[in-house]
Amino acid sequence: MSVVNYGTREITCKIVYYGPGRSGKTTNLQHVYSQLPEERKGKMVSLATETDRTLFFDFLPLDLGTISGFATRFQLYTVPGQVYYAATRKLVLQGVDGVVFVADSQSRQLAENIESLQDLHANLADEGLDPRALPLVMQYNKRDLPPAEISTVEELDETLNFRAVPYFAANAINGGGVFETLRSIASMVLGRLSAPAPKGS
Amino acid sequence: MAKGAKKGAEDDSGEFAEFMADISHEIAKRVESLDPTPKTNPVQKKEATPVPDAGVIREWANIADRMIEEMG
Repeated sequence: MSVVNYGTREITCKIVYYGPGRSGKTTNLQHVYSQLPEERKGKMVSLATETDRTLFFDFLPLDLGTISGFATRFQLYTVPGQVYYAATRKLVLQGVDGVVFVADSQSRQLAENIESLQDLHANLADEGLDPRALPLVMQYNKRDLPPAEISTVEELDETLNFRAVPYFAANAINGGGVFETLRSIASMVLGRLSAPAPKGS
Repeated sequence: MAKGAKKGAEDDSGEFAEFMADISHEIAKRVESLDPTPKTNPVQKKEATPVPDAGVIREWANIADRMIEEMG
């Protein structure tokens, strides 16, 4: 859980990019990474297979420096979208503060989007997190593809966004919508920041 | 390994700065409203409910005696 720690003066938040395989989760992180000023560029850790698909997860620590006297850190993760990496997805979701659901806009991927969303809800519930309460943002990615191949944003939103959370059209490969999405989820997560529980409670 | 940084910062160099500005604003708001330090009101002590036999320390020679005593 995200915590504003007045003792150590630190704020740390964990954001997970979730979605079906090849929807563009890693591409989101790569764009964020590409925009970081040199002095803030840590290491983006990507564990990919030979075919360049995320095997375990990506991890991008976003060290934002000191804000209002607090060392502020966002940890961005992706999960492997492929169905058979269920255990890894569960692991990455532990302690999550907010989720970006990256949906693939291609019409033929609609079933995969739905399956992944159901998987997200099931895994959150397993973690004891209320899927209806956790900060969530929808991103409809690959809007740069030909219109004949993709569902409209309205169609996607109607099918996937039953919580009516903020949503963003994106083409992450060109950076479109990436920071808008990140800003939105970061703002939602920060809005729920809580002070640390007293020791021993 | 760093897989990113393929696209470079080109004309999008302001994206991170805008993000930082928003985040800073948000954090400033939250930090103010959450700061627990300036609490000057002394914590009111809750009055203890009187319990019969409170303060009486009894000793049992062994656990069996204690069980018998408590069941009794």
